Amino acid sequence: MRILVGFKVTPDFESLREADWIAGEGNLADGAGVETRYVPRLLNCFDESALELALRLRDAAAGRSFVEPQLSAVSIGGSQVEPFLTTLLALGYGRAARVDVGADVDFAPAAVASILAACAHDSDGGDVLLLGCRSGPGDGGTVPFRVAETLGWPCLSQVVEIEALSGDDLRVTCLADDCLLRVTVRPPCVLAVGNAVVSRLRVPTLRDRLARRDVLVDVLRAADLGIDIDLLLEREPAGLIGLEAVRRARAGVVVGGETPHEKARHLLDDHLRAVIERL
Amino acid sequence: MSLSREAIVEGLQHIVGPEHVVTDEQVLVQSSVDNFRKLQNIFDVHTMPVPAAVVMVQSTEMAAELLRWADEQGVNVIPRTGATATEGGLESAVPDSVILDGSPMDRIIDVDACNMQATVQCGVPLQALEDRARELGLTTGHSPQSKPVAHLGGLVATRSIGQFSTLYGGIEDMVVGLEAVFPNGQICRIKNVPRRAAGPDIRHVVIGNEGALCFITEVTVKLFPYFPESNRFLGWTLKSMTTGFEALREVMVSGFKPSVARLYDPGDAGLHFSHFAADDDCVLLFMAEGPPGISRATADGIQAIVDTYPECTQVDSAYIETWFNDLCWGPDKIIAEDERIRQTRNVNRTTEISADWSSIGEIYAAARDRIVAEIPDITMMGGHSSHSYINGTNMYFNYFFNVVGVGPEEETTKYYLPIISIICEETLKRGGSIVHHHGMGKARAPWVKDEYGSSYYMLETLKQAFDPSGIMNKGTIFPI
Ligand SMILES: Cc1cc2nc3c(=O)[nH]c(=O)nc-3n(C[C@H](O)[C@H](O)[C@H](O)COP(=O)(O)OP(=O)(O)OC[C@H]3O[C@@H](n4cnc5c(N)ncnc54)[C@H](O)[C@@H]3O)c2cc1C
Repeated sequence: MRILVGFKVTPDFESLREADWIAGEGNLADGAGVETRYVPRLLNCFDESALELALRLRDAAAGRSFVEPQLSAVSIGGSQVEPFLTTLLALGYGRAARVDVGADVDFAPAAVASILAACAHDSDGGDVLLLGCRSGPGDGGTVPFRVAETLGWPCLSQVVEIEALSGDDLRVTCLADDCLLRVTVRPPCVLAVGNAVVSRLRVPTLRDRLARRDVLVDVLRAADLGIDIDLLLEREPAGLIGLEAVRRARAGVVVGGETPHEKARHLLDDHLRAVIERL
Repeated sequence: MSLSREAIVEGLQHIVGPEHVVTDEQVLVQSSVDNFRKLQNIFDVHTMPVPAAVVMVQSTEMAAELLRWADEQGVNVIPRTGATATEGGLESAVPDSVILDGSPMDRIIDVDACNMQATVQCGVPLQALEDRARELGLTTGHSPQSKPVAHLGGLVATRSIGQFSTLYGGIEDMVVGLEAVFPNGQICRIKNVPRRAAGPDIRHVVIGNEGALCFITEVTVKLFPYFPESNRFLGWTLKSMTTGFEALREVMVSGFKPSVARLYDPGDAGLHFSHFAADDDCVLLFMAEGPPGISRATADGIQAIVDTYPECTQVDSAYIETWFNDLCWGPDKIIAEDERIRQTRNVNRTTEISADWSSIGEIYAAARDRIVAEIPDITMMGGHSSHSYINGTNMYFNYFFNVVGVGPEEETTKYYLPIISIICEETLKRGGSIVHHHGMGKARAPWVKDEYGSSYYMLETLKQAFDPSGIMNKGTIFPI
C-alpha cells in the first residue's frame, strides 16, 4: 500500500499579538493580508497527526509481518517547507516533495485540491491520501472533500485512528457528532484526520538525519503536474477582505478574602447563595 | 531514634493544625521529584522516597516553629515555593521528608516607588510583583523564563537570573534585604540599605542556599523605571560561533549594557529562528532598553561594532521583536510540552555553565562534540549564550533525545546524567563554573568539591554552622 500524506506548514498564529492582526488590516487593500512573516512556522496540527499516524501504520505492519506501506509526503509551499520535509525523510518517509506554485493559495481550496489530487494520481502517489481535516484561520475545511471528489475516491472525515487489517484493508475510526464510527475501507480512499489522540510527530535522531542526508526533497512546479495555476486562481478570486477580533474572555471574578475560609465565605455569600436560592 | 511517618504527620498537625498539613497520596508522590525527574510525573512512574507531608506555611513564626521541631526530631525538610526547580532541589532524597511549602505566604507587602524597592513574602509569584510594579510604570528587571510560575522565595534561593540580566543583573544584584529562618528557629532580618561596608555581605549566605541552610520568608528587591516604548531590537545571522563570541565580547568590553545579548548555535537557532536562519546559521541578537537616549545610544553602539564583522548579516529587527514577545513559559506551555514528551518520548533538557571569554568557545565545542559522539538517541544538540559579563559569558546547553529501550524512570541514568557529566568535566577542565543559574540541586551536587576547590572549606563550614543536624534539604548542594 502507498500512503501519501499532504500537509501544510502554517505560521505560528499563537505567537502573533493582537496588534499584529490589526496592523495587517491596513494592508488588506493591496492583498497583503496579515503580516505573518516574522513568526516561526509550524506543522498544521491535524496534518501533524496524519504524518504520525502514517508512521504508526508502517511500524504496525513491521510488527505483524504485513507488507510495509510506502510513505510519501507532499506540501505546497516555498523553501520554508524544506526543513519539515527533510525531517520526514529522516523519519523514514521514502519520498518528500514540495509543490512550489509561486502564488498564495491560502484562500484557493479548489486549486489546493487540484494539486493534491494530481499528486495522488502521480505514479509515485498513493492508494491512501491522508490529510488534516482543516488547516487553521481562514480555512473552510473543504479541501479533503474536494480532493476525494476530483479523484472519485471515498472520503472519511474526522478520522482519529487507523489500523491496518490483512490485505490492504484499513479499519478507520471517525468521530461523529456523539459517537465513534468504526469503518473498514479498502483503498483507494481519502482520510481526513481530525482530533486524534495521536497529535505529535516523533523526532528523528541526528544519526537518522545523517543516514538520509543524501536523499533530496523533490521540488515540483504546478506545470509538472499538468496544472495551470494561474487559470485555477482566476477561477477562484478569493482573498482576505477584513478581520474582526472574536472576544473569547470568560466572564469571571476573583474571589476575595485572605484565607481559604474567608474565600469560601465570599464565594458562598456573594456568588452562590443567590443561585442556590433560585433553584 | 527517627520518628515514624505517622509520628511526623502527628507532630506537624500539632504544630500548625491539620488544615495546613497535606497528606494526599498523589500530592506526596508528585512532590517527591521536580523537573529534574519530570518524566516520573509525566508517566506516573515514581522511584523516589515519598515525603511524609507537605506543610502549607502561613507565617514566619510558623516556619520557625516547624524548623525548630524538625531540627530537634532530625526530620529532613525541603523548602519549596513555585516548584519550578530543574536540578533536583525539591527531590526527597531520604524517606519521610517534609516539604515546607511557602506558597501561601503570597502577600505583596510594600511597593515603594520613592525608594525604588518592593517587599514581598516568599510565595509571591514574580509575575504578580511585576504586574504590580508595571501599574506604577516600574519593573523588577527580573525576567526568568519561569516568571509566570516561579516565586520570589525560590528565585532568591536558587540565585536565579532573568533574560534581561546583562542590564539589570542576576537576583543577587537586585536583593536589597530579606528575612530568613534557620533550623534552630532563629528568625533573621537583613535590613534594606543601598549599600554597607559593615563586614561581609551576609545576604549571600541566604541567596543561593537552595533550602540547604535556611527558609526564606520575605524578600526586598530593587525596582527600575520601565520604558517599553524605547526598546530596540537587533539581530544577525552568521556561520561561526567563534566569530559570534568575539562580537559578543567586544560589545560587552566596550561598555555597552544591552538588556538582552544572545548568541545561538545552529542547532538551537533552528528551534526558534528557522523562519529566517538557514540550518547552519548561528544567530546573534540584542535588545537595548531604558530611557530613549540610552536605548538609542546602546543600539547604535552595538550596530557599529557588529558592522565591523563582515560575516554577520543583519536581519529585520521585527524577527527579534516577535521572538522577544513570546519568551516566557507559563503553565500552558509547560502542559503542552509535557504532552509532547508523553507522546513522542522525546525529551528536552538544559544545562547551563559559565566561563571566561578565553574558554567558553572551547567548552561549548568540546562538550557538544562529545555528547553527539558518546550519547545515543540525540535528536538535537545545541546551545546559546544568554548572559554576558565583562569577563565572560554563560553557555546554556539545550539538547533533546529520544528515550529508547528504557522506562521513563531510567531517563536520568541512561541519558541526562551522562550528558551533565560530560558538560561538567569539560567545564571544570577549563576553569569554568558548572552552574550558571539553575542551582546545584541534587543533580550537580556530586561535583561540588571540584567546583569549589580549596574554598569548599568555607561552604562546608556554613553548612555545619547553620544546619549542624543536617536537616535542611539533604543531598542538595552537599551530596549525601
Ligand atoms: C520553564 C522553566 C523556565 C525556567 N527559566 C529560568 C530562567 O530563565 N532563569 C532561571 O534562573 N531559572 C529558570 N528556571 C528554573 C527555576 O524557575 C528557578 O530556579 C526558580 O528560581 C525557582 O523558583 P521556585 O519558586 O519555583 O522555587 P522552587 O522550585 O520551589 O525551589 C527551588 C529551590 O529553592 C529552594 N527553595 C524554594 N523556596 C525556598 C524558600 N522559601 N527558602 C529557601 N529555599 C527555598 C528549594 O528547596 C529548591 O532547592 C526555569 C524553570 C522552568 C521550569
